[in-house]
Amino acid sequence: MPGIDMSLDNMFCSRCGDGFEPHEKIVNSNGELWHTQCFVCAQCFRPFPEGIFYEFEGRKYCEHDFHVLFAPCCGKCGEFVIGRVIKAMNANWHPRCFRCQMCDKELADLGFIRNQGRALCHECNAKAKAVDLGKYVCHKCHGLIDDKPLRFRGEVYHPYHFNCTACGVELNSDAREVRSRPGFAANEMNELYCLRCHDKMGIPICGACRRPIEERVVTALGKHWHVEHFVCAKCEKPFLGHRHYEKKGLAYCETHYHQLFGNLCFVCNQVIAGDVFTAMNKAWCVHHFACSVCDQKMNQKTKFYEFDLKPVCKKCYEKFPSELKRRLRKAHEQTPKKMPL
Amino acid sequence: MNQAPVSCIPASKMSKAKKVIDEAKEIQNPELDLADKSISSFDEMPGLFNMLNITRLTLSHNKIQVVPPGLANLVNLEILNFFNNQIEELPTSLSSMPKLRILNVGMNRLDCLPRGFGAFPVLEVLDLTYNNLNETTLPGNFFMMETLRALYLGDNDFEFLPPEVGQLKNLQILVLRENDLIELPKEVGDLNRLRELHIQGNRLTILPPEIGNLDLVSSKSVLKMENNPWVTPIADQLSLGVPHVMDYIRTETYRFLYNRHIAAKGPVPPKMNDKTRKLSRARQQS
Repeated sequence: MPGIDMSLDNMFCSRCGDGFEPHEKIVNSNGELWHTQCFVCAQCFRPFPEGIFYEFEGRKYCEHDFHVLFAPCCGKCGEFVIGRVIKAMNANWHPRCFRCQMCDKELADLGFIRNQGRALCHECNAKAKAVDLGKYVCHKCHGLIDDKPLRFRGEVYHPYHFNCTACGVELNSDAREVRSRPGFAANEMNELYCLRCHDKMGIPICGACRRPIEERVVTALGKHWHVEHFVCAKCEKPFLGHRHYEKKGLAYCETHYHQLFGNLCFVCNQVIAGDVFTAMNKAWCVHHFACSVCDQKMNQKTKFYEFDLKPVCKKCYEKFPSELKRRLRKAHEQTPKKMPL
Repeated sequence: MNQAPVSCIPASKMSKAKKVIDEAKEIQNPELDLADKSISSFDEMPGLFNMLNITRLTLSHNKIQVVPPGLANLVNLEILNFFNNQIEELPTSLSSMPKLRILNVGMNRLDCLPRGFGAFPVLEVLDLTYNNLNETTLPGNFFMMETLRALYLGDNDFEFLPPEVGQLKNLQILVLRENDLIELPKEVGDLNRLRELHIQGNRLTILPPEIGNLDLVSSKSVLKMENNPWVTPIADQLSLGVPHVMDYIRTETYRFLYNRHIAAKGPVPPKMNDKTRKLSRARQQS
């Protein structure tokens, strides 16, 4: 190179300052010269493995010692961070180690927000804030939902992001999610309809909660019900397919129907489901309305006598001893006729 | 289910009953109607104790005098009806019948009940009307029948009702018509499910005020109490109607009168019912 004096007399080792012997091997790095024995790590005084060194404040270090002395440690994995270092939350991080603490997204290029000692992405921060406020975050725009949210395919949204599948009108929170393919458990088939269009679709509405019924429908009392909403009017337990009893537009379980209305057959002591014979302060089912003496079945037309408020057919009554018949007749004549209370 | 009338008088008494039994066996009918078949002994019903499927056995209006213990073999029997026979004694084994719900031994000649009679596991209706029973001839465990909902003791000879009657927690019907009752125990007031009480034709003068605990005047209730020598205030209320009596015995005035009456120990009214002609006494007369 012209202008640069390359004679040995003008060359000195950058480390020890001595000159070089003729034929001696000289290390040249970026214009500086060293004796081979002087070109070593400033920390361990050993040559650089494979000639690789790191320079810091004018001194050269082998890779190992440089890391030990100066390289930052990742706040997550504890390894040295070589290359790009993310300085955040009072620590150093590999870019791939610095992630949102809620959704695990890499934050290096997205930016982050500190939320109660956590690093969160913008979306998760909004969600966390919404939860604190008791509100939802729209799954589409990630903004807070101030009014009622619209639930759709398992997420919540601002209703105004959607339009009715049928009439195209912008939706409000009254919109209804409908399983377009009944029987599919997954909800990715669901569609949204405005309330008007939904009502026109003929989906049964539960008589109790006024919501549409998408699973099993119970039809009773002239209405439709969610299985779990068709309950005893007294104990409010769902019938779940068990028999129910209707009285004045209400449904009751067996126990409470009998408790409230007392139509138990005198003979079988079971709730009377079908026709009831009522007489002498008692009730009978069709199967058990019979003469109390000979057990022969009776019907509405059968004439019978009353004996201790039990029915006795004519044939049996006539077999009673005459002294008993006389007493019964006398008692019957004496019985005060129905008096006004 | 009416039996076809048999035109000729059967050569053997056995045939009428046997025909019904054979028929029931053939069609596997679990309900056996043998009312008014002139049966005087279980010997006339061979094979009956092997018909384990039967749930009802009706033998009313016959002349049965003895009930063999083997009847308890019929483990599926729920209804057993002996009304109007000549039974003087019941076997203890009946009380062990596991499904027997209704037992009718009305109009027989029972003077007593066997020891341990009250052991029925599921008995609901017990009809002992028109027999010769009284408080001294009931077995010790008679009122242990907690499942009982109706007890018919009309036309018997009770002068007192044991206070243990209060243990029959499920009792809805209690008939004591035409006995010789001098007083009712206050424990009747514990029977809070009672909706029929028949005490007409006895020797009652006062009612324990505890009877006022019962609901016997609702549209589903009955209290029959005529033909007793009631004290004047009760008789006066009764002439106005049973609800008036129930209102009256709930008053402090009545409670005072009742306590005074008990303390005074007035004369016991004479027996009112002439029972010499009762069919249940037939044996004693013969």
